[in-house]
Amino acid sequence: MKKAIVYVNQFFGQIGGEEKAGAAPEIHEGQIGPAMQFAKELEDTEVTHTIICGDNYMGSNTDEAVQTILGMLEGKEMDIFLAGPAFQAGRYTVACGTICKAVKEKFGVPVVTSMNEETPGVDMFKKEMYILKGGNIASKMRQDVKAMANVANKLLKGEPVGDAETEGYFARGIRHQVWLEDGTPATVRMIDMLLKKLNGEPFKTELPMPKLDRVPIAPAIKDLPHAKIALLNTGGIVPVDNPDHIQSASATRWGRYNIADTEALKGGEYKTIHAGFDPAAADANPNVITPVDALKVLQKEGVFGSLHDYFYTTVGTGTTEAEARRMAKEIIPYLKEDGVDGVIMVST
Amino acid sequence: MKLTIGNFHVKDIVFGSELSFKDGVLTINKEEALAFIREDDRITEAELYIAKPGDKIRMCPVKEAIEPRCRLDGRGLFPGYTSEMAPAGDGVTYALKNCSVLVVGRHWGGFQDGIIDMSGEGQKYTYYGYLNNIVLVADTNEEFERHEQQKKNDALRRAGHKLAEFIGQCVKDLTPEDTEVYELGQMIKRGAEVEKLPSVVYVMQPQSQMEEMGYNDLVYGWDMNHFVPTVMHPNEVLDGALVSGSFMPVSSKWSTYDFQNCPSIKALYAEHGKTINFLGVIMSNLNVALEQKERSALFVAQIAKSLGADGAVLAEEGYGNPDADFVGCYVALEDAGVKVVGVTNECTGRDGQSQPLVTLDEKCDAIVSCGNVSELIELPPMETVLGELDALKRDGLSGGWADDELLGPSVRADGSIIMENNSMFCGDQVIGWSPKTMKEF
Repeated sequence: MKKAIVYVNQFFGQIGGEEKAGAAPEIHEGQIGPAMQFAKELEDTEVTHTIICGDNYMGSNTDEAVQTILGMLEGKEMDIFLAGPAFQAGRYTVACGTICKAVKEKFGVPVVTSMNEETPGVDMFKKEMYILKGGNIASKMRQDVKAMANVANKLLKGEPVGDAETEGYFARGIRHQVWLEDGTPATVRMIDMLLKKLNGEPFKTELPMPKLDRVPIAPAIKDLPHAKIALLNTGGIVPVDNPDHIQSASATRWGRYNIADTEALKGGEYKTIHAGFDPAAADANPNVITPVDALKVLQKEGVFGSLHDYFYTTVGTGTTEAEARRMAKEIIPYLKEDGVDGVIMVST
Repeated sequence: MKLTIGNFHVKDIVFGSELSFKDGVLTINKEEALAFIREDDRITEAELYIAKPGDKIRMCPVKEAIEPRCRLDGRGLFPGYTSEMAPAGDGVTYALKNCSVLVVGRHWGGFQDGIIDMSGEGQKYTYYGYLNNIVLVADTNEEFERHEQQKKNDALRRAGHKLAEFIGQCVKDLTPEDTEVYELGQMIKRGAEVEKLPSVVYVMQPQSQMEEMGYNDLVYGWDMNHFVPTVMHPNEVLDGALVSGSFMPVSSKWSTYDFQNCPSIKALYAEHGKTINFLGVIMSNLNVALEQKERSALFVAQIAKSLGADGAVLAEEGYGNPDADFVGCYVALEDAGVKVVGVTNECTGRDGQSQPLVTLDEKCDAIVSCGNVSELIELPPMETVLGELDALKRDGLSGGWADDELLGPSVRADGSIIMENNSMFCGDQVIGWSPKTMKEF
């Protein structure tokens, strides 16, 4: 028998209404309020405890509330943690998201909650956990608990959870390929979408344009003759033995190579391992991608102050945005530590 | 232009004494076929196999697929490539259906090569897992690229195209079981009944991003890197004017078989005169420099507008850098007042959390999505391997790797594999077959 623990606020925990919203966390053995219905809907799982906390207490004393609840959970058997459903109660949705996130991080168990789309908790927490799309009033309790339990049962049994639309949770910014159950080929979907678009009828794209993640252009360096410059590239220029084993495509690795005493990169000593372009020119003269030669000359001429002792390399082709962001976050501390004022980022 | 395709449905393939087709059984004289292939003295080693759906066969590194056919007028199947220059798209061709010639490297693979499984969990990842395949496994003396990650695969690919012509000859004097007719006349003055329907073009962006010749898709034998968009008749695509190249991560590839059978063209034909006025194909390409991308987009938008297109279907043979050509062309068409539906795959990463296309625009509001190139796939060992499975981890296939701290090598000692979808042969089927889509999780 698996074990579940349920979190509810003061109202659904049957302590009281708004006047009890300042109530500190308490834990009870057994099931109170929605926990009773979870006990019916969860398969082969016992709801062992119900945690109750006032919404205002969680909102105003968040750290204390979270620490208290984590303390209460310490040492308890728990295969899943459920919070809510929170409906359209703004503070309750934030409380459910906050405690679910903390429990997931501390105990590594799956967490599930439910909120109405009009609440602040959705945007704050939808990328962190399964948040079912809930009703706006408490009379939706039965169906919201059922929807949460449906996902929870799959997690408890180790079965794959379906896509956001099918299961009814808020999309978490994760896109995967799936086989359509009826096998409808792309051509049929294409003609259907085309006719609807041509005829001015509503249609549904299979790739909703995500909100664009634009990086603002940094202000110009005012005093270039005294600035320290670093050289970075996604063109795969590495020492010929590729010591960091950077992949030729879909890279997850990067490397940095000392050029303090190098006047120019030589073919035969450096090469490109990038698989997305013809490597001949870069292998013969790696400076075409990482222009160490020109930068050393410009430095001597006083165009800029100094060159950071290392250049940094990864491969851009097929490399995902998430990996690129992670690698940048790993590289930045080296640049900051050396007081780099600006970087030249060479793409290919 | 009127193209009649006479179909011969292949139910089984066997080796025998004479190349022939009878009662759904294609018989191939193996030695005769191999002797024909060896006429190209670049071929150093060659063997033929049969791979049918359900067979416990895994193929790697797969380089090309071609449908065996036969032109009744004696013209070669691929004018400007396997035969002299001649127009494609008119007349009668016979086709061996449910059947393809696959070309597999005996040893060596590259970035652009892939995997096909004929049964088990891996079968669903490619279209070719469901066809009756004649598999040419061969090696060549092309030493200059033996250890290159990017291979032209010229000798092997040509061997495949010629073998498809050679085999296709066996139905020349037979009567087809059924026929398909593709007929589309001039674009203007088609009559009020058709012209009252919204007019639609199909914009194709075949792969042409390699600056060096020999890797890109060909149109009448012409490298499409040296190409600006032009109008083509859809029948030209169906009748051998386009030959696939050897460059892109292979799940994005359009094989020659894909061009010959282009399901999107057939779907637009099926709607012609009923719901749309199918004008034809604007053949574009994919480019390297931004200026080249912009030039092609400008050509496409101008041609679509001049033709009076109300709508367009736009499809790209690639992902990553080519997304810039795709989105640029999409936006140029929308800006010209043409309503676009795009067909593409995505690269959202193994965890699904990355930006789906390299560049995005809010004007791309209608997209059919065919898969995630970086989806992680794990498959058990297969009884028989045609080719050399180690190529997946050794030769820089786009979906394979030599080693990884967490995942280990792509090919394990027991023959099981772990790879990215990137190396599934023509797996994303952006050409139109794709049974896959992308969903939010």
